[in-house]
Amino acid sequence: MLEVEISGVKLKNPIIAASGTFGFGREFSKLIDLNLFGGISTKGITLKKCAGNPQPRLCEVYGGIINSIGLENPGVEAFVNDELPFLKKFNTKIIANINGFNKEEFIELAKIVSPLVDMIEVNLSCPNIKEGGMAFGKDPNRVYEITKEVKKVSACPVIVKLTPNVTDITELAKAAEKAGADAISLINTVSAMAIDIETRRPLIKMVTGGLSGPAIKPIAVRMVYECFQKVNIPIIGMGGIMNYKDAIEFFLAGATAIQIGTVNFVNPNAVSEIRKGIENYLKAHGFKSVKDLVGNIII
Amino acid sequence: MKLLDVEIAENKMIANGIYLLSFESDYLANTFKPGNFVNILVEKDSIYPLLRRPFSISFVKENKVFIGYKVVGKGTQILSQKKKGDSINVLGPLGNSFLIDKFNGKVAVVGGGVGIFPLLSLCHELKKAGNKIDVFLGFRSRSDLFFVEEFKELSDNLFISTDDGSIGYKGNTVEVFKTKIEEGNYKVAFSCGPKPMLRFLKSLNLPFKCYVSLEEKMACGIGACLCCSIKGKDGNMLHVCSDGPVFDIMEVEI
Ligand SMILES: Cc1cc2nc3c(=O)[nH]c(=O)nc-3n(C[C@H](O)[C@H](O)[C@H](O)COP(=O)(O)OP(=O)(O)OC[C@H]3O[C@@H](n4cnc5c(N)ncnc54)[C@H](O)[C@@H]3O)c2cc1C
Ligand SMILES: Cc1cc2nc3c(=O)[nH]c(=O)nc-3n(C[C@H](O)[C@H](O)[C@H](O)COP(=O)(O)O)c2cc1C
Ligand code: FES
Repeated sequence: MLEVEISGVKLKNPIIAASGTFGFGREFSKLIDLNLFGGISTKGITLKKCAGNPQPRLCEVYGGIINSIGLENPGVEAFVNDELPFLKKFNTKIIANINGFNKEEFIELAKIVSPLVDMIEVNLSCPNIKEGGMAFGKDPNRVYEITKEVKKVSACPVIVKLTPNVTDITELAKAAEKAGADAISLINTVSAMAIDIETRRPLIKMVTGGLSGPAIKPIAVRMVYECFQKVNIPIIGMGGIMNYKDAIEFFLAGATAIQIGTVNFVNPNAVSEIRKGIENYLKAHGFKSVKDLVGNIII
Repeated sequence: MKLLDVEIAENKMIANGIYLLSFESDYLANTFKPGNFVNILVEKDSIYPLLRRPFSISFVKENKVFIGYKVVGKGTQILSQKKKGDSINVLGPLGNSFLIDKFNGKVAVVGGGVGIFPLLSLCHELKKAGNKIDVFLGFRSRSDLFFVEEFKELSDNLFISTDDGSIGYKGNTVEVFKTKIEEGNYKVAFSCGPKPMLRFLKSLNLPFKCYVSLEEKMACGIGACLCCSIKGKDGNMLHVCSDGPVFDIMEVEI
């Protein structure tokens, strides 16, 4: 009932932990059963280890948080040697989120990790780094170019993660599809800012950061809906999902699977609650599977 | 570490804007070590505040857990309005703990403001281990004082200072500590307080080990989100929630 498929990869349920909000799984494994997830998208990795941005990196705003982690991570070698073997013990699909500062790095990363995981998620949307990330991801030509090169060398299906910080996200979705992406995931965080009026300073050291959480959900649902009209590859939807009702919205808008991010900080049990909620919803509305919901909005 | 729904036993004001909250939890009371903290969801299904809030466990008594906190923003304001019998969701115990040992000589404990909260149980355990303890506490003003009787009982000497001089020494608690270093002949120091205070403490280049409990904005509390990173001495990233909150003061950039 809950099983979905993305380019031949079967997820036992459509819930994936969103990159950057779930570490390498290890941290949460002491608290919840990682087998509950259909998949886990690991913290974004780069070729070399990366220290990330200065503090403060986090602030809270109405309905969400702004972060500027800046891709702190131990680098691909440590990921492969120290983190992957642990994650492989669980019955869940592993999605490696990769981040290059230029095209060559994306290719190199894809070569190294794609034979070792179920899927890779090419993050062309990180708002918190100066080069690469969102800077590439805003330009459909660069999205096309990088996706194409990564596809050439990748041993597993390739998901391209898109940024919402553009006028028309469907242009990016179409570029990814044309270049051979197996799926797209959206949305990454929304570029945002908050100011402390007492000190008159920005609440984030880098001045701007990425907004996630319930505040961005309506934007994300709209973007999934728009992309669903324009591309034929599966869409993985995310942005502000806090409960099963939010998840159902994404399926109806056109998502085949969903990712949950910020909610993990608030309610580490969210995955099991959302899973049960989806199941009950399907039964109550007479649907046989999640697939029946995808894009099934009535306009 | 566990996720627990607990029922508030008591939540009362103990000083100006300072509250002491307690609840029963056999699990937390048995696993807790001084320095540990918990992540409290002050309101379920809330949009603002959205995240959990981190608070040190001040002390435990039998199966009761006590958390002292200061009202500073929306989250702590909501928490202060909770009544006996209300339920809150608690994630813990989190983080590492202070080193407890019998030190051959005196121990100094230096606390400022809300940083004083985690130091009470530390003093309990240090005393139980057979140590002599000098305690230095800094408050803003006389009306902000809390836990003073408790610290008096556990310490050999208690030095109080206030910013406005309304009680005790006028000025910074680290200043007071500095004047006692020589005669105190300390073997180790423990501290928690605002960053400027800890920077001052670090600048003293103490001739003995000094362990500090740090604060950083946190989202997950368990090492997954990398929001609370600080730099270690060697440039490596450390996470206040999972590598700390207690660090050797010389091993971290403050
Ligand atoms: C490990 C740890 C242990 C702590 N133990 C205690 C404790 O025992 N007692 C206590 O009173 N407080 C403690 N704090 C601080 C406490 O977490 C914050 O005061 C609280 O989160 C503020 O929430 P709020 O919604 O009321 O304030 P907000 O509206 O979120 O913010 C109000 C003000 O508080 C500051 N603030 C918010 N979060 C933090 C934070 N995590 N650390 C420092 N400042 C913050 C903000 O910068 C702002 O100036 C601890 C913090 C950490 C990281
Ligand atoms: C603290 C934090 C770190 C993140 N790090 C990454 C990352 O490394 N790679 C990535 O593709 N997305 C990253 N994201 C974005 C999330 O994967 C997700 O796209 C976004 O948070 C929206 O979902 P949410 O509202 O459910 O959190 C991060 C988000 C947060 C909050
Ligand atoms: S709060 Fe998430 S890593 Fe420390």
